[in-house]
Amino acid sequence: MDFNTFKKAVIAAAEKLGIAEYELYYSSSESTSVDIFRHEINSFSSSVDGGVCFRCLVGGKMGYASTEELSEAQAESIVRRARDNAATLETEDKQFLVSGGEKYAPLDIKPYELPTTEQLIDTALKGQEAIYAADPAVIDGTSAGAESGRTTIAICNSNGLDLSYSNNLAVFYAAPVVYDGKEMSDDFNMKTGSFDKLDINEVVSEAVDAAKSMMNADVAPTGSYPVVFSYKAMTSLLSTFSGIFSSENAQKGLSRLAGKEGQKIAADFITIVDDPFYKDSAMPINFDGEGSPTYCKNVVENGVLKTLLYNLKTAHIAGVKTTGNGSKAGYASSVGIRPFTFYLAPGKLTEDELIAKAGEGVYINDLGGLHAGANAVSGDFSLQSSGYMIEGGKKTRAVKSFTVSGNFYDLLNQITDLSNEVKLPRAFGITAFGSPSVLVKGLTVAGK
Amino acid sequence: MISREVCARVLAKAVSTGADYAEIFAEHSVNHSIAMIANKVENVNDAVVAGAGIRVFKGLRSVMASTVDTTEEGLLRCAEKAADALGQGSAEITIDLRERLFGDIHPIKIVPATVPNAEKVRILKDGYFAAKEYSDCIKQVTGTLLDIDHNILIATSEGLYAQDRQIRTRIAINAVAEKNGETQTGFFGPGRRMGMEMFEHEVNAHDVGVKAAEQAVIMAGAGYCPAGVMPVAIGNGFGGVIFHEACGHSLEASSVAYGTSQFAGKLGQQIANPKVTAIDDGTIPNAWGSINIDDEGTPARRNVLIENGILKTYMIDKFNGRRMGMESTGSARRQDYSYTTTSRMTNTFIAEGPDDNDEIISSMEYGLFAKSMGGGSVNPTTGEFNFAVSEGYIVRNGKICEPVRGASLVGKGSDVIMNIDMVGKNLDLGTGMCGASSGSIPTTVGEPLIRVSKITVGGR
Repeated sequence: MDFNTFKKAVIAAAEKLGIAEYELYYSSSESTSVDIFRHEINSFSSSVDGGVCFRCLVGGKMGYASTEELSEAQAESIVRRARDNAATLETEDKQFLVSGGEKYAPLDIKPYELPTTEQLIDTALKGQEAIYAADPAVIDGTSAGAESGRTTIAICNSNGLDLSYSNNLAVFYAAPVVYDGKEMSDDFNMKTGSFDKLDINEVVSEAVDAAKSMMNADVAPTGSYPVVFSYKAMTSLLSTFSGIFSSENAQKGLSRLAGKEGQKIAADFITIVDDPFYKDSAMPINFDGEGSPTYCKNVVENGVLKTLLYNLKTAHIAGVKTTGNGSKAGYASSVGIRPFTFYLAPGKLTEDELIAKAGEGVYINDLGGLHAGANAVSGDFSLQSSGYMIEGGKKTRAVKSFTVSGNFYDLLNQITDLSNEVKLPRAFGITAFGSPSVLVKGLTVAGK
Repeated sequence: MISREVCARVLAKAVSTGADYAEIFAEHSVNHSIAMIANKVENVNDAVVAGAGIRVFKGLRSVMASTVDTTEEGLLRCAEKAADALGQGSAEITIDLRERLFGDIHPIKIVPATVPNAEKVRILKDGYFAAKEYSDCIKQVTGTLLDIDHNILIATSEGLYAQDRQIRTRIAINAVAEKNGETQTGFFGPGRRMGMEMFEHEVNAHDVGVKAAEQAVIMAGAGYCPAGVMPVAIGNGFGGVIFHEACGHSLEASSVAYGTSQFAGKLGQQIANPKVTAIDDGTIPNAWGSINIDDEGTPARRNVLIENGILKTYMIDKFNGRRMGMESTGSARRQDYSYTTTSRMTNTFIAEGPDDNDEIISSMEYGLFAKSMGGGSVNPTTGEFNFAVSEGYIVRNGKICEPVRGASLVGKGSDVIMNIDMVGKNLDLGTGMCGASSGSIPTTVGEPLIRVSKITVGGR
């Protein structure tokens, strides 16, 4: 059955079982993708997934249950399971459902037309040919691909809340592999947005250049250097450590920012913004994962922590209002906290000026192993890196297979300069991260 | 789940435009979890995951379509979508399904769904409070008890109709310790392809909590690991993640078939130190990464990947096997019906070697003993890998000395497996989740104590 029929069946089941306070959250995504190997389609996929989460307040506890199977039997089953699960809970944190009648910012999105299957295939094939044409070092194993999808979210609750959202997304990507007879190197680059405005060659040439530049790169020498993190590398750090700004983590002793609101936590010129409507966001949205209105705020302003990110539960504990950052990692997840477009505001220098200022150091273009080499609780990181040496104020030879180590809490104070352009690499969801390039005083690099 | 007759009609639709192979993968799973934080049960969740993915192949082209609608009409629509995407043509094969029973080499004594939440909470609390009460330095503990009941059905145009039920149970405790304003974490999360009997003889919840807390407390008191190139001894069990990342991923057909693996074209060649024998074995009874059949219906196998340093085989699924001209090795896996299956690992480990564990440590004048490893990742094309050391110690003059924190190991897979120059005798397995293009799947890693003669240690 479809969601609306299922919704009615769930509401009837809740009534029958005497459950008065509940919420139904639905999300689904449909996506079509194609990828190319050599000069032909390698695989094509068309998937539909999604499900419904039912949560209800029973005796002050919020029980959850979910299903992807929308059937009469499941409609009653999820209500029973959520009720039974609530009975096992012990947490005394007060739980809330959004009240009806909140004001939501108007959402000015015009979903662009999704490419047809033919356009997807055509774009992917053209992309692949563009990669082969870009450089003689490109070898088989290279792939280009295209994907289109539609995401739908709906929330309704027993307070009369009834919200829905849907948006389209089209993606083109290029993943070249280059080989010089000795060593292989690769890269991945993508662009989201309407295919009418897509510049395939730009995506391709950036990727091919990046792959070629790392071919036969040297291992950086061990030492302590001024480090420039590219916008891409700094975005990786910001995204990995964004959890420290969650009030839930702070309240649970998992963030050192607990109790620091109103205090200085970063260098004077550091401002970090969370904007649900950011201009480059692929998925701007005016309600959060529990249905609260969203808005733009400075989380850090001129080095001072203005606010953590809150949902209804954590805001109640802290005695503040929710910042509209309730979030669900998937339809079945419990409500947690996540930012929307979360970015470090830009500074004044061009990237070249930033590099010149570093003098002798390391430019880190890319960081790897973020899920392993970074500890979101302690702030410590020791991460696989690649980039360039900076010599005489200029980027020189390529370096890779080294690590950079530091602590994110310290880093917020060690940044000395910011470049003047914020970019959002790989922004395709509701949550996205961005940053300018940054110069950091001194960090340890371990290489050879 | 879906009858043989319906499967036959759906497969007939799937091959109607000329596919030479079609497959239905249907699933009905329940993922159940209980989570604790701040000494209380914070969350109980159960999610029913149900749907089907249909794949069709024609030569070296694959099409996948998935649906949440597993009625006959829904499946037929999905099959039609796949058939249409393949192109235009007419059916060239006929469907004749015969049910096959593979048997279960992973007996389950207590199906978790039949155990009340209260009993599961009791076990979780046993582990949780063991960590919480381990030391005054422990400031926070989170704990999860997870059980998964994963039912799959595979029907293919080759005539196979088979089902499998995969039950897994896991407990994971994460402890946060604080000393002098510095916070560090410790983690332990063993799991098995077992029911709740896991807690009777395989895993003691209390010990899990102690182990997590002990690691957090040791690390909170530790200084930073020094940076540089040095010999590193890597502890048994989860330490095997080094093989998984540095080598395992590059032996998967998903990169070998496209020539984008550091080990493509090297069968029969010496790729590792002669002391290294590495095995991927999906048949270990009740091990976390074990299966009866893979997600294409091929029976699980024990694949010797590397024997005394010589590359013996890759891990291969049916589709990529076509490109390689090789048979499936029972390595096809997917997180769920919405992902496209590809070749993945099951239980992958370095076999025991000739060296004495004590001699491995005493051989090191100055280096790092990585007792416990965190996760890692690799680029299979370049072989560049990284992983985190979650509990490390400096070794000086052959003796294990002070603990150090914040270390990571980086290098190139093909170098590091040549540099594994000592292999000890205490093989153990560790529980993990592995993420790749076909989603997040349960995998086991393992090894005895090993020594890598030199590797870059990231520290400060």
